[in-house]
Amino acid sequence: MYIDQDACERCMDCIPVCPVGAIGITETKLIHHFSFQVVIDYETCVECGVCRRLRKCPQGAIKQVEEIPYPRILRAAFSDPTFRHASTAVLGRGTEEMKTNDVKNEFTRDNVGFSVEVGRPGVGAYFRDLQKVTMKAVALGGDFASYNPVVALMDKSTGALKEEVLNEKVLSAIAEFIVPREKVLDVLEKLTAFINAELESVATISVIARNDDDGGHSILHTLEAHGKLHGYAPYPNGKVNIGIAAMKGGNP
Amino acid sequence: MTHTLNRRGFDRERPGEEICVICMIHYKDRNEKTADAMRELAGIIIRHEPDNIMGSSTGAKPEQIVETSAAAGIITAVFTDKDSVMKLVQEIKAKDPGISVVLSGLFADVHDICESAGLTEHTSNYAVGISGNASLLPDHITLEIATQCGHGLVSRHYIEHVARRIGEGKMTAQEGAELLSKPCVCGIVNKKRTEEILLKMVEQNPFTEEREINYAVRQKRKFS
Repeated sequence: MYIDQDACERCMDCIPVCPVGAIGITETKLIHHFSFQVVIDYETCVECGVCRRLRKCPQGAIKQVEEIPYPRILRAAFSDPTFRHASTAVLGRGTEEMKTNDVKNEFTRDNVGFSVEVGRPGVGAYFRDLQKVTMKAVALGGDFASYNPVVALMDKSTGALKEEVLNEKVLSAIAEFIVPREKVLDVLEKLTAFINAELESVATISVIARNDDDGGHSILHTLEAHGKLHGYAPYPNGKVNIGIAAMKGGNP
Repeated sequence: MTHTLNRRGFDRERPGEEICVICMIHYKDRNEKTADAMRELAGIIIRHEPDNIMGSSTGAKPEQIVETSAAAGIITAVFTDKDSVMKLVQEIKAKDPGISVVLSGLFADVHDICESAGLTEHTSNYAVGISGNASLLPDHITLEIATQCGHGLVSRHYIEHVARRIGEGKMTAQEGAELLSKPCVCGIVNKKRTEEILLKMVEQNPFTEEREINYAVRQKRKFS
């Protein structure tokens, strides 16, 4: 994304809409006065497309290059939810995670899933930060979900990402992996401590689990009890797959 | 839409405030038949009058929303009335569309809805909080709006900018909420709740001119 300086009238209305603060002002000192331009910082921009989609610029000065080169294109793939990921053909962050679990049965009664979204909420992160999480997850015995665009960039045996992507910045990217159900608290403790100590950015951590036979949330109660001892509180809200697809020969 | 579980500001003492609805076709099941089922689902959701829905930020008409959902294999919406979601889920269950349906909100609300339709919760996603470099985060009240767009497209600076304009009397909180709902392409920003949060922000008045100038100066320093 860039601003066409010939078209820009310097109204500055676009500046606050950028989620990562990539739009700003550069000032040039001339002989008798200062001149300024409104610009998009190439390094900070994650190509989410908000500035252009909102049509904040009446002059249409916010523009996109004809083709974003690789690996920069990954910024758009992971930050612009209208972009369909090449590796999974899914919009958004490119993963179905538990949304379709009543069809695919990836999360069973014997395991739990972890979803660690690096860069969220609203901060952004480099893939080098994500790599810290993916490598730690592998070290903790996590088995990575295959249907996630991060996996397409990753060596599943080590969690290492492709070298050329490490300095690309995105709004967020999700490391998704499964561990045996009995390891959930141990993995959560170690992962949280690691993220607090090592990440440049922030991350949201969530746990995915099959509900009890009666629809109950025994994992949530386990997390609540554990959180009281370790200084965190699971949110009272969350996401629930209500098993509609399972009615039609899915995964009861 | 992966991220609605991370919404901030929910309280068990305020049940029924909002429920997000997500319908998704598993990627292996995408075909003409499921696309038709999705069209029907989208039509049902629109008929139950959500507070916000996918495509509304671009001004899409109902028939365009229906076609987009079939092409994308997903539809997303947010409701501010639990009874409507109960009726919606009952109707979806009766249709038996073979498409996954996810509800996002207070677990107690989702349970009531499931119970009313004779369903049991299948799989849940639990948020345990934000870790890492917390110094990069905005304040809690700003996060209550920012986290409504799961893809993180509602800028904290835009929220502050809009709240300040409301405080100056240059727009209403309703207009501000409408503006802040626009970056979210999934159409799941709860405009009613956003309006209330904006009013709370203005009441607390943290948007002094000094703070606004500081942002401009910070940006200028960063770029110069």
